Amino acid sequence: MKIGLFVPCYVNALFPEVGVATYKLLKHLDVDVNYPLNQTCCGQPMANAGFEAKAVPLAERFEEMFKDYDYVVAPSASCAAFVKLNYPRLLKGKHFCLSDNKIMDVCEFLHDVLKVKSLPGKFSHKVSLHNSCHGVRELNLSSASELNIPSYSKIKDLLKLVEGITVYEPDHVDECCGFGGMFSVEEPAVSVRMGTDKINNHIATGAEYITGPDSSCLMHMQGIARRTDKEIKFIHVVEILAAGL
Amino acid sequence: MSSKESILSNIRKNICQQFDMPDTEIRGIRYDDTVKQFIETSKTVGGSVEILNGKDDINDVVRRCYPDAKKIASNLPEIKIATVNPDSVDKAQDLNDTDVTVVKGDVGVAENGCIWIPQATKEKAAYFICEYLVIIISQKNIVNNMHEAYKKIEFNDYGFGSFISGPSKTADIEQALVMGAQSARGVTVILTE
Amino acid sequence: MSTKHAIAAERFLADKEGSVWHNQSIGYARTKRDTMAKGIPEWEQLRKLSSEIKRHTVTHLDYYLEEFSKHAEANGVIVHWAKDANEHNDIVYDILQKHNVKKLVKSKSMLTEECRLNDFLFSKGIDVVETDLGERILQLMGIPPSHIVMPAIHIRREQVGKLFEEKLNTEKGNSDPTYLTRAARMHLRNEFMTADAGMTGGNFGVAATGDVVVCTNEGNADMSTSMPKLHIASIGIEKIIPNYDCLSVFVRLLARSATGQPTTTYTSHFRKARPGGEMHIVLVDNGRSDILGNAEHWETMKCLRCGACMNTCPVYRRSGGYSYTYFIPGPIGINLGMLRSPQQYSDNVSACSLCCSCDNVCPAKVNLSEQIYRWRQSLDSIGKADPMKKAMSKGMTYLFDHPLIYQKSLYLAPLINSMPRFMIYNGLNVWGKGRELPTFAKESFEQMWKKGKLK
Repeated sequence: MKIGLFVPCYVNALFPEVGVATYKLLKHLDVDVNYPLNQTCCGQPMANAGFEAKAVPLAERFEEMFKDYDYVVAPSASCAAFVKLNYPRLLKGKHFCLSDNKIMDVCEFLHDVLKVKSLPGKFSHKVSLHNSCHGVRELNLSSASELNIPSYSKIKDLLKLVEGITVYEPDHVDECCGFGGMFSVEEPAVSVRMGTDKINNHIATGAEYITGPDSSCLMHMQGIARRTDKEIKFIHVVEILAAGL
Repeated sequence: MSSKESILSNIRKNICQQFDMPDTEIRGIRYDDTVKQFIETSKTVGGSVEILNGKDDINDVVRRCYPDAKKIASNLPEIKIATVNPDSVDKAQDLNDTDVTVVKGDVGVAENGCIWIPQATKEKAAYFICEYLVIIISQKNIVNNMHEAYKKIEFNDYGFGSFISGPSKTADIEQALVMGAQSARGVTVILTE
Repeated sequence: MSTKHAIAAERFLADKEGSVWHNQSIGYARTKRDTMAKGIPEWEQLRKLSSEIKRHTVTHLDYYLEEFSKHAEANGVIVHWAKDANEHNDIVYDILQKHNVKKLVKSKSMLTEECRLNDFLFSKGIDVVETDLGERILQLMGIPPSHIVMPAIHIRREQVGKLFEEKLNTEKGNSDPTYLTRAARMHLRNEFMTADAGMTGGNFGVAATGDVVVCTNEGNADMSTSMPKLHIASIGIEKIIPNYDCLSVFVRLLARSATGQPTTTYTSHFRKARPGGEMHIVLVDNGRSDILGNAEHWETMKCLRCGACMNTCPVYRRSGGYSYTYFIPGPIGINLGMLRSPQQYSDNVSACSLCCSCDNVCPAKVNLSEQIYRWRQSLDSIGKADPMKKAMSKGMTYLFDHPLIYQKSLYLAPLINSMPRFMIYNGLNVWGKGRELPTFAKESFEQMWKKGKLK
């Protein structure tokens, strides 16, 4: 099983430690994982802004780059969801899309494919889990709060394998943080209010860290927390899972 | 072309693809004790419930619930305390200031406290204009859910009926729930055998 | 660069206390909906069935409309067909004029709001009295609704108190909701008693029987139609459903989704005119038959107008109905507005973070977020794309399609971290309006990989 590691554009530039943690964790779990060079972006920011045609060359690049891999694993629920749900449509008429069946968010991969049952690390802290929208509602990483379905959370299952951790969830457990890609700059007032409310809900759990599967959400909330001098810390889920590696 | 023909032909021209009717038989929620659930729900929606035993006189029950009622509207022969018959008023407005209206309900629904009341009097205002509404219904006519209810309801010749669940209410001012908006401010359900 | 929605939302949020309260109040409706949904084991099955019934019905709408009108007419009801809003208003005025109506009492109807009926009738000298408490408050204030089910949700009790002091002679300083509701009851009772005609909308029209079904909590639709002998019911053509088996699915979903109640107090079926009276139904198209021809957006015809999408929408809750340029706000409003006129209502398309919560609460499973995404794709071709977003998208695409340039830029990016604040945080930096910029990593992941730091 050959795994291609996809490191999203903003993770590459702003949070490379998330990519590092993903790589180290997969290697620790004996996965044959490689990072093909010259990676850029899945195309989500442009598409959600209304310019999905601009994402097509990036989709073609992505397909080509990962054509020889069995799975493509990314430490980003929204990027994985974007590829899965949109690439078949974007590539229609160009060639048969393969990426949608290969792409997985790293938490999804660990939980559903590797079926990880133990992790080596320790993280003796209280964390509040941020259930990113696309992770919940497009990738089914956890049961959406709106639906009457049995409750589950793949991320919580994974986090509980880490020694010493206490996992909380905020009120309004999967309400949007307000990032939404270019929404954050097109509707800045609403975006910041949404983020502020979300941070306050997380802080109210008593947690020291906010953690989630999407660095974009964390980046947006972190920006607000820093501006308002809130002491809460931010860490991607995969960094916790890879603790000690 | 008439507007009707124009609208219909535009619809026909525009429909992109068609879908079949699904199977609408659905197993709706069921309760171990349907009557008990109905009583509970009736209270949750703001009503009160009186259970009538064989030997109770319904008029006594109404009197007990509404001792100060002066104008009582009903066309039910067993409601001896009625002071006005909605069948025989000149106009609906004459029923204003009705304290209590007593009616019969045909089907009660446990999941939401609804009671089907087909219009059975000349002036349906009687059901809505009163301060308090008393609905008499047999325990035998309580069903679990609206799927079951809609299979049973019937109309009289008046061609009007309403499912009524508790008193009229509003939360339009700051989401503060207030009982008694434009219609009955209280409902008593009298359950007979 | 900002859309009208973004500008209006900023103003809305400047009232900190009011906007926090608005968010909480509407959020409470979502919470109550959740409680209801979780209490019905077959809830998701109901939603699926509702969507399938609606898909079938709207794609056979001609048949069901003919069935509906045939049965209604057999019951002695007079059925009218209105191609558009103007024709609707003319039909209604014509009926009222024939009956010498001076005062019309009406229950809540977003359709009549869509047709601007009230203003039209006022201009013809007919007094129209809204009888839903929330709508009456707004009518007395002279302002429009901000939510399709809870129209006055944005109005505080003190404002209602002051209004009623002025218009209804209530006690000075008394803003208790029960007291104010009682005062409205007395005032509206008088209006019902002296009205010449009653008008309702309709939540459903049942094709198999010709019933118009009206759901209210206040009883105002029933009061409006129990005293005056003339009843006019106006409904959009998408409200028609096949039969009672189908109706039972919808009524179980409607109030639970809209207000978190197991049912509205009254679910009234109007089949015939009152003895000695007349009942009219006006079936209104006003663009709906055209929507059916829109392959990407016809599923908005499934909408039950419950408002659940607004109640869950984190953007609507923090911007309020008045921030939207279309009279219906929230996720469904964005879509309906664009269907009405993309040129006129494109400002609302920015009001969405694509969180998809609306899709999950919609009792008819309208694919709201997907449709908003699709409208976003169309903005450029109608000349409504935001220039800043367009430039950013173009720039990003160039950068991402040239990986070597992208990687080179990442070498330089960390310089931004040490730039003086006044250079980064100014009017040009929209991100910086409420947030600190993230810190560029000294080494990107790819740089580390290339240097062999990770093997």
